[in-house]
Amino acid sequence: MTMLPDRFSPYRCLLHLYPATHRDEFGEEMLAVFHGAQADIAQQGMVRRAAFYARETYGLLTGALEEHVRSITGLRSWDINSSRRFTMRSEFRFPKSTPILMTIILAAVVLAIEKATAIRYSAFPDFNQHVGPIRPEHFTFFPKLLLAFAVTYVAGVVGWGILYALHRSGLHRMTEMPGLKQE
Amino acid sequence: MAALPLTEPVLLILLSLAGQPRHGYAILKDVAEMSDGRVALSTGTLYGALRRLLDEGWIERFEEDDTSRGRQTYRLTPGGRRNLQTEVSRLKRLTQVARLRVAERER
Repeated sequence: MTMLPDRFSPYRCLLHLYPATHRDEFGEEMLAVFHGAQADIAQQGMVRRAAFYARETYGLLTGALEEHVRSITGLRSWDINSSRRFTMRSEFRFPKSTPILMTIILAAVVLAIEKATAIRYSAFPDFNQHVGPIRPEHFTFFPKLLLAFAVTYVAGVVGWGILYALHRSGLHRMTEMPGLKQE
Repeated sequence: MAALPLTEPVLLILLSLAGQPRHGYAILKDVAEMSDGRVALSTGTLYGALRRLLDEGWIERFEEDDTSRGRQTYRLTPGGRRNLQTEVSRLKRLTQVARLRVAERER
């Protein structure tokens, strides 16, 4: 079997789900530790190997999600447990991989809605006499949702642009000015 | 500063670093050994915890003499060690209470 080059390994690809700052700081270390653990488990049975890969994938996905939440909101898991306070970061940050995660979640929601709609048509044939079993033409909801997503996405990009422009203008540093700080 | 009590994986990571500085893979192995294989950390969970512990100042990066393999080593800070001792004392008191209660029940 031909081995993929390391830069194309699935684990390295999944590491791209993490925010760039976390990836730059810990990415190579995580990869080295994963390869070490993978070498240990290589001689084990199939069940143990499957459990190892499932655990690693789950840990990586939840870790990436937690890092994104932290990088956007400043919320830490220990804060959630201790005081349930919601603290915002002083500077605005929008990791590049966040839209990918958002798109995956949105796609899952859209597919679930589409499926539910198709099942409704299939389970209740009297609901619409002209519609029988599931057919491709039932999937009419998708363009509307796609349009709603596009509008929301554009609105988000515009909002991000405004916040980025404000950040670049140095507005958030005004509170650090000596005259204002004394007040 | 992080809130006590700590989760079991975080406590085991701190206990692993209490003896000596370790790199990520050594922590992973030590945690599994300490818990008799019951706690098997994934790489994502380990580095999520290490990042938080670094942010909170409980641990710090440690420069090894032999850096040929490019591995990053971590060790407890004095503050982290104090917090770990506090947690261990809390668990010790809890164990004493538990032992007493169980003994009372058995009489």
